[in-house]
Amino acid sequence: MSDLEVRARLATRADRLGQPRRLGVAESVAGMLALLLLVSALAPQLLAPGDPLGIDPLSAFEPPNLAHGFGTDESGRDIYTRVVHGTQSSLLIGAAATAIGLGLGIVLGTLAGMLGRVVDFTVNRFLEVLFAFPGLLLALLFIVIFGPGVATATIAVGLSTAPGYARIIRAQLISVRSTAFVEAATVLGRTRWQILRRHILPNTLAPLFVLATLGIGQAIVWAATLSYLGLGAEPPTAEWGAMLSAGRTYITSAWWMSFFPGLFIVLTAVTATVLGRGIDRRMRHL
Amino acid sequence: MLAATTGIIAVGLLVAGCTQAGPNEPVGEPRSGGTLTYASGDAEPSCLDPHVGGNFPQALVSAQYLESLVSRDSGGRIIPWLAESWTPSDDGLTWDFTLRDDVTFTDGTVFDAEAVRANIAHLQDPTTLSSTGYLALGKVAGVEAVSSTVVRFTLSEPDSALLESLSQPWLAMESPTALLRSQDENCASPVGTGPFIVESWVKQNAVTLVRNDDYVSPPADAGHSGPAYLDEVIWRFIPDSASRYAALQAGEVDVIDNAQPDTIMQAEQSDAIEQLDSPRPGAANRIELNSGQAPFDDVRVREAFIRSANVDDAVSSLFQGTATRSYSALSSVEATAVSNAALFDYDPAAAATLLDEAGWTESDADGYRVKNGVRLSVEFPVSTNQSIPAEQSVFEQIQATAKETGFEVKLAPLDLSSWYAALAANDYDAVSAPYTKVGPDVLRILYHSDSIVPAPSGYFANLAQVSDPDIDELLTTAARTTDADERRDLYSDAQDRILEGFYVLPLYDQQNHFLLRSDVVGLRTLPTVAVPTLYDAWLNR
Repeated sequence: MSDLEVRARLATRADRLGQPRRLGVAESVAGMLALLLLVSALAPQLLAPGDPLGIDPLSAFEPPNLAHGFGTDESGRDIYTRVVHGTQSSLLIGAAATAIGLGLGIVLGTLAGMLGRVVDFTVNRFLEVLFAFPGLLLALLFIVIFGPGVATATIAVGLSTAPGYARIIRAQLISVRSTAFVEAATVLGRTRWQILRRHILPNTLAPLFVLATLGIGQAIVWAATLSYLGLGAEPPTAEWGAMLSAGRTYITSAWWMSFFPGLFIVLTAVTATVLGRGIDRRMRHL
Repeated sequence: MLAATTGIIAVGLLVAGCTQAGPNEPVGEPRSGGTLTYASGDAEPSCLDPHVGGNFPQALVSAQYLESLVSRDSGGRIIPWLAESWTPSDDGLTWDFTLRDDVTFTDGTVFDAEAVRANIAHLQDPTTLSSTGYLALGKVAGVEAVSSTVVRFTLSEPDSALLESLSQPWLAMESPTALLRSQDENCASPVGTGPFIVESWVKQNAVTLVRNDDYVSPPADAGHSGPAYLDEVIWRFIPDSASRYAALQAGEVDVIDNAQPDTIMQAEQSDAIEQLDSPRPGAANRIELNSGQAPFDDVRVREAFIRSANVDDAVSSLFQGTATRSYSALSSVEATAVSNAALFDYDPAAAATLLDEAGWTESDADGYRVKNGVRLSVEFPVSTNQSIPAEQSVFEQIQATAKETGFEVKLAPLDLSSWYAALAANDYDAVSAPYTKVGPDVLRILYHSDSIVPAPSGYFANLAQVSDPDIDELLTTAARTTDADERRDLYSDAQDRILEGFYVLPLYDQQNHFLLRSDVVGLRTLPTVAVPTLYDAWLNR
């Protein structure tokens, strides 16, 4: 069972217990953070006007101070500037990977859920094979074959999340398919395509929005993992995973080099999760 | 001999029983026994026989179980090892080496003139795929056994570097019986005359070496005679520098190589860890500019690149005083090294003018220079196995400063085999490749046009692709000249021409910092290629 399924189940239970709809502290903070992250991603110059690649060898290894709030790295680059500018690539990788995973998941899940037993059986066995590999291993396998880099890392993360999405979509499809309104449409003589488009997909895809928000957080962590292993963004690109990896060399003498990129990876993942759950709760009460 | 050793051990035990020696106190007599764990940050060799290929990681480990005909002392003088003496003929074309008559390989094969002949033949056999040894023996036309203890080298022309070449671990003597095995077998367990024996090799993990109890042949400058003190050596491979240092701090390993500058600085504060610094001979660490293709086929572009790179600030910030900037193609341990700082001044304005003169007058939206629609890009494959992180950061800083002048430096971190592949495919404009050789003859290997032709291993050493008949002539003559002063002048002229041709951007000596637990006593490096020898080492614990 994937953790997405677990989360979906937990969400269902919360729904039964009837949680209140007011905005919690965690959600408010997460919302503000999300806004900040979006600004960092879309217009990093607003928050950090410096050059993320600009070196200043004579002020290397400076601990956090007034001039450099997050300190400097081994080449005197400002960590704060790099972390802010790194948001873009990290979020982009996270969003793109989730989109790839969801897209593939929708295709596979729809095939399995709509095209009868033979296809369902085949797709399910295929998904089971993919599930046999831990997600990260699947991503690593893909990178070994197609070579490291930002694009392959994104696709790899997307691919490795696809089986989880496919399962959930299939289950959702099957439950929607057996509802009264679908039966009614069938009785009315609508074609299979019409039913899929007008009735089933809208009712299946709405919960996916929640899954996607939750998934982005996970995808960012995985993408950072791959960069950390030297398989994603290459130095000196400002990317959180790559920065974390570069900082690790100096972790005994310059903790700030790895602390701040790490902090932002955690914050982003937590923000995505809190927001995802919040949206989930609200949607179930609509 | 046996009695003497036992005596020493007994005294050692007594002394140890009375005192617990601190790092700076006298440590008493050496004691036998124990296992030393060495953690290497160099790439794990694919073959433990340094005849095959011939790189530094192989030299590091093989110096523990293989020995050469001659060695070099700390003053740079060639000293006896497996050969007791040698005599060149008047024309310099025939060299007779008199060998020790009491040495046996650890498989029982006798070390004699025939064994030397078999080793040179093995190195020169193209199927061995030797690179370093093969190049070093370029002038050896034949080897014959005059008697069991006298071996004669016949040269095609005089070779002033013959003894220096033979002192290197890549030309060490292996059992001719063992060499008859398949290459795979010999790679897994080469057999020599050294103080240790290869017992096993678990790939991606460690080589286990055990003491050779019948050892009799230390080089003339060794600290003792008879067998080594250590029972066993575990030679581990820990490529990640932070993990390597952590393992040393935790006492999990006793010696590490390729120490990072920040850990060296930390170790200086610690009583438990000591440093051994021993720059490698041969070439300095430098960036070679590929003059064989655009854009660096134009000397003005080469000079512009060199003037646009702020190396001084990079070295001082990243190496924190543990490395000194070099302005020479040769290591500072080479007496013949020529240094010319004026050629390597950081001068972006001069660089810009040079690019203008060379026709790179336009700039694109990203600020890079453009000529005829082509961006001024420099492909720079980096071997992550051969460059510590601090060095890779130096390249990043050069990338950043060269960008200000309009160079787009494309750094590509690669593993060793992909890196070799990129070089073989001529897919590089700049590259940093360490090359270690005893003596200035390394210049011939690195900058003679003959070295653009790949060795049997596929590697070619002239990565700057220098093809200058005058430089060829100087290097060829120097390699034939046995008169020391004359030889020095010739190498001096050759270095001037190489430096003034802006083929290389020197950075610093090949860094060779070892960190060791302070209870490891007697570790030293061989003055040949600065690899550590564990023969005199013992554990004061």
